[in-house]
Amino acid sequence: MAAATVLNGNAPSADWPGRYHHVDQILDKPGPRTDPSFLAGPGVKEFLRDQCKILVIGAGGLGCEILANLALSGFKDIHVIDMDTIDISNLNRQFLFRPKDVGKPKAIVAAEFIMSRVPGVTVTPYYGKIQDKDDDYYMQFNLVICGLDSVEARRWINATLVNLVDPENPESLKPLIDGGTEGFKGQARVILPTITSCYECSLDMLNKPTAFPICTIANTPRLPEHCIEWASVLEWPRVQGDKKLDTDNPEHIQWLYQVASARAKEFKIEGVTWSLTQGVVKNIIPAIASTNAIIAASCCNEAFKIATSSSAYLNNYFMLIGTDGVYSFTFEHQKRDDCPVCGGESLDITISREWTVDRLIEMLVERQDIQVKKPSLSSGGKQIYFQAPPQLEEATRPNLEKKVLELVEDGGDITVTATTLPFNLTLRVKYT
Amino acid sequence: MSTTGESQNIEQATSAITDAPDNKTRRYDRQLRLWAASGQSALESSRTLVLSSSATATSILKNLVLPGIGHFTLLDPAITTTADAGNNFFINAQESIGKPRAAEALPLLRELNDSVDGEAVLKDVKELLGTEDGRETIRSFSLIIAHNLNKDVLDELAELLWADLTNPPLIVVRSAGFLADFFIQFHEHCVSQPHTDGTPSLRITRPFPELLRWARELDFDSVDPTTHAHIPFVVILVRAVDDWRAKHDDKLPSTSAEKNEFKAQLRAMKHKPDEENFDEAEAQAWRVWSEPTVPGEITSLFTLPPLSASGPTPNQSFHALLRTLNAFVGSPGGPGCLPLSAALPDMRTDTESYVKLQNLYRDRSLHEKEHFKGILSEIFPDIAAEVNEDELDAFLKNAHQLRLLRGRRWGEWAKDKSAIAEALQIFPRDAGTHVALTALSTLLSQAPDGSAVTADALRAEVQTLVGEGVELPEEVDTAIGELARAPTAELPNTAAFLGGMVAQEAIKMITKQYVPVNGYCVVDLIDSTTGIVGTP
Amino acid sequence: MIKIWSMKKNEDAAAKKKPKTSAAQIRVQKDLTELDLPSTMKTHFPDPADLLNFTLTITPDEGMYKGGAFVFSFVINANYPHEPPKVKCIPTIYHPNVDLEGNVCLNILREDWKPVLNLNSVMVGLQYLFLEPNADDPLNKEAAEELRRNREQFIYNVKSAMRGGNIKGVQYDRVLV
Repeated sequence: MAAATVLNGNAPSADWPGRYHHVDQILDKPGPRTDPSFLAGPGVKEFLRDQCKILVIGAGGLGCEILANLALSGFKDIHVIDMDTIDISNLNRQFLFRPKDVGKPKAIVAAEFIMSRVPGVTVTPYYGKIQDKDDDYYMQFNLVICGLDSVEARRWINATLVNLVDPENPESLKPLIDGGTEGFKGQARVILPTITSCYECSLDMLNKPTAFPICTIANTPRLPEHCIEWASVLEWPRVQGDKKLDTDNPEHIQWLYQVASARAKEFKIEGVTWSLTQGVVKNIIPAIASTNAIIAASCCNEAFKIATSSSAYLNNYFMLIGTDGVYSFTFEHQKRDDCPVCGGESLDITISREWTVDRLIEMLVERQDIQVKKPSLSSGGKQIYFQAPPQLEEATRPNLEKKVLELVEDGGDITVTATTLPFNLTLRVKYT
Repeated sequence: MSTTGESQNIEQATSAITDAPDNKTRRYDRQLRLWAASGQSALESSRTLVLSSSATATSILKNLVLPGIGHFTLLDPAITTTADAGNNFFINAQESIGKPRAAEALPLLRELNDSVDGEAVLKDVKELLGTEDGRETIRSFSLIIAHNLNKDVLDELAELLWADLTNPPLIVVRSAGFLADFFIQFHEHCVSQPHTDGTPSLRITRPFPELLRWARELDFDSVDPTTHAHIPFVVILVRAVDDWRAKHDDKLPSTSAEKNEFKAQLRAMKHKPDEENFDEAEAQAWRVWSEPTVPGEITSLFTLPPLSASGPTPNQSFHALLRTLNAFVGSPGGPGCLPLSAALPDMRTDTESYVKLQNLYRDRSLHEKEHFKGILSEIFPDIAAEVNEDELDAFLKNAHQLRLLRGRRWGEWAKDKSAIAEALQIFPRDAGTHVALTALSTLLSQAPDGSAVTADALRAEVQTLVGEGVELPEEVDTAIGELARAPTAELPNTAAFLGGMVAQEAIKMITKQYVPVNGYCVVDLIDSTTGIVGTP
Repeated sequence: MIKIWSMKKNEDAAAKKKPKTSAAQIRVQKDLTELDLPSTMKTHFPDPADLLNFTLTITPDEGMYKGGAFVFSFVINANYPHEPPKVKCIPTIYHPNVDLEGNVCLNILREDWKPVLNLNSVMVGLQYLFLEPNADDPLNKEAAEELRRNREQFIYNVKSAMRGGNIKGVQYDRVLV
């Protein structure tokens, strides 16, 4: 349910004289750390204000800040995606929302607010999931900034942007700027898909979600959290059957709270509260306006520098810890060769239109430069030939006799996995 | 039927009474999980004065109004310019041009949070500094924040606030283009809840009688296998240390050979190889390597001289509690170390043992709290009468990680040329940016429009600051180059970044939770770094 | 953007186009095709095209659960391997580490899961539960109690439950091969 684009003011004349007095000091001349490719003056301003198209993913804690910063920096064609609606607990930091907006879609309310406050800026909202959009949609942007709290969504957009890179088309490289916060801590990073370390490369840096042993929950609870997990993991499905637990439903939380409290009482455990119950089952991460402001500003600052080339940009990771003084660490996160998204080998092969899958596998095994043993092949999520497990081997065995051409189009990709490969090998197939 | 109906209604009615939090708690939920009700109430009773309503100033305020400070005053005589209308989110674009800037910003800030009170005062701070009433007004706030304030006015303000130990802290923020720094002027700042994740002692090597009795009386070899696999690691370690001491002249394992032997002893206590409670004991064996000493950072607080030999000093109750803590550690009836914390980490054990252990720790910690209170009322009867239970609990709970910062006067470091020269060697980028910003503020005090700012003029100023003949690292030139490029540029992103940073520090100052920065925090948004120089 | 675009041109060689297969999918392909299962374990895919939903049948050839066939459902979500697979025991079985709802107490399925682990590790872990049921950290408390107190009786109960017997009022599913 995308809202109609609302134009605010009449775009060109909205630039009153002196509007960009501050930003123009930067855009009118280079500084000591500016790349020689920077074209100071009208050219860069025109690109920033009239041509550059930027996508903001998330209109929450970071998203609200990001939208405001981009608008003031001179980005005028901004799109925003968010699938959430506004909750009262957002109001301590998501400053584009008011109590009257509770229940409304974040993307739409945020877009309208920005357009009413910053004349001449168009913010196009999409109330929905990032997965609803296809490659053509993402291709239209020059930059993408993410302010998300979901690992899954970040992995998705990261992989999508890596996939978008087409060596023939320079503009297919969409820098991804990603921010995240937790309490007084946060990080901002710049990802140049296929060039620098990507989100997937750093997946092992993430904190593990807290999980308690299920037998502790079932038999030897010690902490209030154990009682709450008992209520949500074991009792809810047992008592409520197929009814899905909705952690946003206060009645569900209330039920869990009561069940957990009763259990805590039985085991003489103290400390089960409504707030803790909600925190545990929703995996609530503390969030404050100030940390979001810092991280969002850092993200937008990188977007501005990259879009205008007016200064060097972050290479590639900024980490902030604000609990004990102000401590930050800026470093280059290394690309991983065995990253399933941006790493791995890639090979262009040209084969005869007559080749069977069996012949292709034979060729792969024989090639000295790749040295794969027992490769399994798939294309676009569809199995071509799997070495194991037996049922899938049997199911895919008939494909061995088929021509590769029947399964993979010209210029298509084949994903090869094998124990002998660090992760996977991508074959780009052309036919003679 | 009707009775059944009624009783159902009653049941429905009672089950509808929920313990769900009220709207205010829900609104602040994500921050209450950090600083709790005590931090929130400190914020709500605070009053902040902000000098200027620039993009940076309003960004800072936004991040204070959202979490719910009590009151703010925008003090700013400026009229909104075309440039303000372009870079400040809390200005109504063209509509505000030509109108008083603070008055334009006020409603847009206030609408962020109904419970925050705010006012705009369209005066120059110079005017307030010129009268006793004005000075008294300034002093009456809990915190003062100044952004890009004229250097001479700033010096006068800083001097006024430094003059009395009980005056509020001042946060000085300076920015141009991608570069910025900020500094908090305060005499002393006490943090009783630093949230620095320090681990309190479990007193394994100095067990209190009930704990020792448990460890000694438990017959490790005859309990059933399930019980054995669930003996809490604390009890295992207390017993192992007790056994070790009996055989080693009452000494703890100290050499690495002894430590390995001790770990081997723990492993030998296992009945089955997969008893994870014993693995846990081995992993926690470091707790046995030393007696529960008072950390050096805490003992240094015991001997801290008072801020002033005579007259009233701030933070009296914190100091009284510190002195009491010192007396507690040395007292005959005390444990000879910091008071026991009731907080017990989770461990591999059954519910019953854990609850029992928890109760032992809680009882002992209450016992020691009573002992502490006894000493407090003896040495500081006045303080003992007014200190509240929550304050006392927080202090004792954090006794192992208390922090007390002594700050500096604004500009004091600038006078120490050798210290600055040294910092330029060790932290060339951060110190270089800091001195360049100082040079810029001098030049802007001569011509606020930046017309006096050139790379050469900045360099000359820097040289004066650090001393003629001192060689400047190239980072100084890099910073100077950026400032000469954009001497009066207040970039929206830099403003927003500082808005977050400064508000964060303000919250720490107001709540006395978490540890604020002490020194100049220097921000470089080209390389995206922050650094601290001039730490006392 | 000039800098970025020009950089792109210089690094054409480094840029590789990747197939539209999610990282989770490739990882599952890798895990599955490299499975090295003994004859006592078999996977079954109700829909062979869907690699994310399948079952594992364990038929222990030694120990007290010999003679039974135990079916577990595996559900893998898009966040694999950041999150572990969700595993449930389908029949109601008499086992100290499996409750009557089919929840399984295996550390690597929850608190000790790490992305470096794979489906093979999970399957091997599950099989181990049938060779060495653990009475100290039980999910089915009564079964555990029995195992501790009276091993003979426990083995008798296991056999009886596997035949679809009723133990202390609980009806177990017949799982004999």
